[in-house]
Amino acid sequence: MQLSASSRHRGALALLSMPAVLFTAMMVVFPILYTIWLSFRTAPLGHATQFVGLANYSQLAHAPQFWNSIKVSLTLYVISLALQLTGGTYLAVLLFQAKRMPAILRSVLISPFMVPPVVVGMMFLVILDPSLGAANWVLSLFGIGPSAWLASPEWVIPTVALIDTWQWMPFVALIVLGGLQSLPPSVYEAAKIDGAPSRLVFWRITLPLLLPTLATAAILRTVDLLRFFDIIYVTTQGGPLNASDTLNIYGFHIGFELFQFGYASALAMTLTAMVFGVVLALNRLRKAVDW
Amino acid sequence: MSDRTLSQPRREQLMRVLVIAQLVILAIGILFPIAWMVTSSFKSSADVTAYPPTLLFRPTLDNYTRLLQTTPFFSYARNSLIESGSSTLIGLLLGVPAAYAASITRASWPALVTLSARMAPGTLFLIPWYIVFRDLGMVGTYGALILTQAAITLPIVIWVLLPAFDAIPRSILEAAGVDGCGILRSLWRVALPLVSSGLVIATILAFVFSWNYFLFALVLSDENTKPLVVAAFNYIGEGSTDWGGLMAAATLIALPPLVLAIAVQRWLVAGLTLGAVKG
Repeated sequence: MQLSASSRHRGALALLSMPAVLFTAMMVVFPILYTIWLSFRTAPLGHATQFVGLANYSQLAHAPQFWNSIKVSLTLYVISLALQLTGGTYLAVLLFQAKRMPAILRSVLISPFMVPPVVVGMMFLVILDPSLGAANWVLSLFGIGPSAWLASPEWVIPTVALIDTWQWMPFVALIVLGGLQSLPPSVYEAAKIDGAPSRLVFWRITLPLLLPTLATAAILRTVDLLRFFDIIYVTTQGGPLNASDTLNIYGFHIGFELFQFGYASALAMTLTAMVFGVVLALNRLRKAVDW
Repeated sequence: MSDRTLSQPRREQLMRVLVIAQLVILAIGILFPIAWMVTSSFKSSADVTAYPPTLLFRPTLDNYTRLLQTTPFFSYARNSLIESGSSTLIGLLLGVPAAYAASITRASWPALVTLSARMAPGTLFLIPWYIVFRDLGMVGTYGALILTQAAITLPIVIWVLLPAFDAIPRSILEAAGVDGCGILRSLWRVALPLVSSGLVIATILAFVFSWNYFLFALVLSDENTKPLVVAAFNYIGEGSTDWGGLMAAATLIALPPLVLAIAVQRWLVAGLTLGAVKG
């Protein structure tokens, strides 16, 4: 690269990124280091912090509510991701077969994930109301009995997964559609000449070639799903009976309602490690299925 | 043989009708909750809680007039505008030069930092921010809210613009360098006009995500600096008896992101999925 040859240029380029570097150091790197430090201390309000070693982490390991949160977060994650990947792929294949994407259809598809999650929570509180909501009315049209939805400890997590799927399945579909459009057409032509039935073409050719795109979509959704907060905070606050108490809801409760910053920091570190772990694993998977 | 060739186009036509029918059903399903929110906001208090729901009703603006007259909706809206607008501006001022420099030097750290900032849960940042801002007496100030929201907008700007800058042929940038254009001038005069659509998308996405972001403002704002999404949460407590008002508030809060996104829909999808697709 000729541009970077001169050192004057290189200095100017470094200068260009300097403000962003400083900001990132101040607002992203420093807080992360501070949280790591805090996670080994107690930080009672109005008092100096004290080193407590791994006490926060061992408190975490012995807290039934923490394990409940792990279970809730992972259940929500698995159900949502499965729904969004299968639904998104199905929608993407339809869009691909339709060939054209009218502006009105694209507008419909991007609308859900542009709506603020808080507003999504508000609209579904009304739609899913156990006694007067539209959802139970629609079910009754098909002869299906009413559900308590968000008010039911058994159904709250599947319901939240459905809400999140409503919001993000179109996003996954658009990513998968991009993947479908980038597949080499020669593959289909060859299959067509061989007279392969379309079902077989999808399962044996299209889907394997789509795996890297699906892995990318999975990574993007993992990052949001494992730290699920907004919609649950707005609708159930982790209830009923802690049945929707995700790690982030639990962490918020410890940190900003009980103000146990040390303990909350240990939880935030654990959650971050989980997200990074899953993302790294998915990234390895993505590289393994790449072609 | 001739029978086969005749039925082939008809089969394709039937397939096409089936595809479009499924897409229409899905589109209705996707649109339903938003449509329900909007129609509910125009229902009278008797209609909005009617069961079974009334599909035909006399629309009323009562919910909107009541919302705007009895709550400081406009001052919350002004807070949202100030906070999202300023944090978007900061994101652009810091992110555009950084993405440009990273694209030229092929540095990988901005992409890495962007990704990490996206991966970490909000509480990870929020605890130290809260402690520091509290010690500085900045909790509840616009400053704290704008700075923390900029931590959302900066990664978005870099995420969208990095591939856009990467797509500019290197020879164009080199020519600008040979012509004696300084690095800032070549960014301003040569590179920026070439990524103008990326710039629009980065601006709109940064604004929308900042407008929509809830957690930081929930902790760091006070009554005078509260943005709409946090105020909306308070409406829920009051709204258990007033669904019409709640849906009117929800509709107004969702309107700016929806309008902005739909205005640039064609580019937006490309901007969001760029780099997510193999190619």
